[in-house]
Amino acid sequence: MLPSINKNIYFSLLFLFLFNTSYSQNKTLDSLKNELRTYLPKDTVRVGLLVRTAFEMTYSDPNGAFPLIDESIAISRSKNWIKGEALGLRQKGNLYYVLADNLNALDTYQKALVLSKKISDKQLESSLLSNIGNIHADLKEYGHALENYRAYLKTSQELGNRPDEIKALSNIAIVYNDSENFEEGISYLEKALELAKLEKNDLFVAAITNNLALAQKKLGLHEKALKNYQKAADLAQIIGNKYIEASALNSIGEINALLQNYDIAETYADRALSISKEIGAVEWQSDSWKVLSSAYENKGKATEALKAFKEYVSLRDSVLSEEKKSELTRKEMQFKMERQQAIAEEEIKRERLVKNGYLIGTILLVIISALGYLFYKRRRDALEKKKIAEFNAQVAETELKALRSQMNPHFIFNSLNSISDFISRRDIKQADDYLIKFSKLTRSILENSEKKWITLKEDLELMELYIQLEALRLEEKLNYTITVDSSIETDNTLIPPLILQPFIENSIWHGIAPKNGVGQIDLAIKKDKDMLVCSVDDNGVGRSKNHNQTHKNNSFGLKITSNRIDIINHLKNTKGSLKLLDKNEGVRVEIRLPFEAQF
Amino acid sequence: MLKAIIVDDEQHCINRLDGLLQEYGNDIDVLARCHSIEAAKSEIDRESPDILFLDVQLGNDTGFDLLSQLTRIDFEVIFTTSYDNYALKAFKYSALDYLLKPIDKTDFIHALQKLRQQNNLKETSKKIDVLFHNFKDNNDSSKRIAIPTIEGYTMVDTSNIVRLQSDVNYTHIYTSSKKKITASKTIKFFEDLLEGQSFFRVHKSHLVNLNFIESYNKGKGGYLTLSDGNKIEVAVRRKEALLKQLM
Repeated sequence: MLPSINKNIYFSLLFLFLFNTSYSQNKTLDSLKNELRTYLPKDTVRVGLLVRTAFEMTYSDPNGAFPLIDESIAISRSKNWIKGEALGLRQKGNLYYVLADNLNALDTYQKALVLSKKISDKQLESSLLSNIGNIHADLKEYGHALENYRAYLKTSQELGNRPDEIKALSNIAIVYNDSENFEEGISYLEKALELAKLEKNDLFVAAITNNLALAQKKLGLHEKALKNYQKAADLAQIIGNKYIEASALNSIGEINALLQNYDIAETYADRALSISKEIGAVEWQSDSWKVLSSAYENKGKATEALKAFKEYVSLRDSVLSEEKKSELTRKEMQFKMERQQAIAEEEIKRERLVKNGYLIGTILLVIISALGYLFYKRRRDALEKKKIAEFNAQVAETELKALRSQMNPHFIFNSLNSISDFISRRDIKQADDYLIKFSKLTRSILENSEKKWITLKEDLELMELYIQLEALRLEEKLNYTITVDSSIETDNTLIPPLILQPFIENSIWHGIAPKNGVGQIDLAIKKDKDMLVCSVDDNGVGRSKNHNQTHKNNSFGLKITSNRIDIINHLKNTKGSLKLLDKNEGVRVEIRLPFEAQF
Repeated sequence: MLKAIIVDDEQHCINRLDGLLQEYGNDIDVLARCHSIEAAKSEIDRESPDILFLDVQLGNDTGFDLLSQLTRIDFEVIFTTSYDNYALKAFKYSALDYLLKPIDKTDFIHALQKLRQQNNLKETSKKIDVLFHNFKDNNDSSKRIAIPTIEGYTMVDTSNIVRLQSDVNYTHIYTSSKKKITASKTIKFFEDLLEGQSFFRVHKSHLVNLNFIESYNKGKGGYLTLSDGNKIEVAVRRKEALLKQLM
């Protein structure tokens, strides 16, 4: 119930003027409900009706008012009518407040306050500040309460709204009194009283005077307090406000009891009791019984005193239980609010943590990626370098071996043997001829083996020189042909030097030399698309017949040649190849190389 | 009769030359056979030969040492050597005649024929100057070469050659002083001769000095602009290797 606020200590203006609205109370709830039923367009008029109806239902049926107020907010939003939405929200806050849902009330008021500031509606802002202040005061959050009340005071002064100014001053005073700062409270009350008198508002004057007396009583200023209570009681009686009258009369009784004027105390307490009963104010009845009990006791009326004390205790208990209930609700509210605040703080912390986490994570990711790339690059570069070095080593080694295979020691010494043989047979002319050819070939091999590519013409000349030399040694046992496709320009076609030599050597030494009768070697150079096809054919004894014997030499020449082809393939990205074919009679070797023209 | 002196530190080499001369050089009279440059020097001074067969390696000396000690060279020189790339290059630059050992009779006959045909001693002394020039200025970037022309020999510093252009079996050589020399050799001859110098065969018909390249214009093969303003086509197959050289 609404009037439970602060009533145990002070009779405050707080609940008297709780809801600031601008409506004059000239329409009944029933007529409003009727209007709502007949006026259906979703416009500002309906919003006004909805808010007013909800307002009228604040105390009688707050729960039933929610659908109406929600509709008003929805319509306002769809129409972009900010003031309508703010008014709706304020009334919704009132409903929550009445249902003791301080948390939602506060939240809803705050939303309305933001909107009211947006549209610079000072009056609306003022009323909201007041309401927000009230809730904080309820929750004994005096700092927040004062803050809002001061803002309320300022806006009401700016607007020149005297009643609001009085209410603001009074409420500030009550907060001070609640926090036992009575001097400050009294000074605000005096300001409020002055203004109320200027306004000639007797209700305000009565209520403020009553509060002033209370503060004075707390400070022990009994004379001043009695005087003011009397003023308040008289004025309340004139304007017919039983609450203020009962409160004031009882307080007079209380003070007289303290001053040991028990007869006067009894009289006032009696009067207060009867009015309290009239209006059903249990707390004040209990207070009055307390005063009466003390008066009877001191006047020696023990029976009455006991009866009064019993009344006091029973009523006090019911008040206390009522208070405990409200205290419990308040505590619960506070707890809920604190928890929500804690959750909100946690949420903020968590968000900050997540944000920081993301930031740190991103930075780490970037650093790790950079490092990773760096390492990867270094490793890759190292591997690349190693590969190149290995390849270069392979090239050098192969070149050396190629030279060695061409300058085969067997060939050298066999040649020398041949020369020796000619000499011993006194065939000086043949010996000399052989020797000159041998030296020319050796010189050419040495010169050309340094080169990676020579012209086909030069290479074929070399090959022919070689074959001639071997033919001399074999004495008429060897015939040869060299054929080049007419489409090939020998002086413009490049070939790795002496690449066919090991195969010619094999054909002569292992194919034709062991053969009975005349042997034939055919060298052929052809072009197949972008490949140069070089072949050596012999009609010798073939590989199978003397396999064991020739295996080593064969494989050596074969290996070096295939290595050379691999290197070419690697450098030129081509598909050169080496093939050995065993024929019915003899062997055929085919080397496919990329066709390289000089120009 | 032509007077000849043989200089070689190995007797069997002298014997072989003697044998060859007996068979193919009836018109040549060998007056002296020397094993050292000292002996050769005095024999030359005494006999004034027409022909000198000179071995390159003479113990610790060389045939070039002998020539450098002579005040006058009024005879033909035919070098003999077995295998010495450095010397061969020098002979080729100076267009001096040489025979490789063991001496092939065909080569020998050819050398004698040349000797009988062109008995121009002035030319020989010019060639020997080139030889000494190349030995003296022992830098590889500028060598002097003797270019065989129809008239005789023209001596040119390789660093002055801008480009060479093939004309069937002749080669036109363009110098930085705007001279054009027509040589009686193929461009292939000069390509081999100038190997190791800053020359590059950009095209079947063109050999250019890389130091005279002004710019390269992209294209299928592209073309070069030389400092004398000439534009030289680059063969597609040579483009990659050329750019590698230019980078």
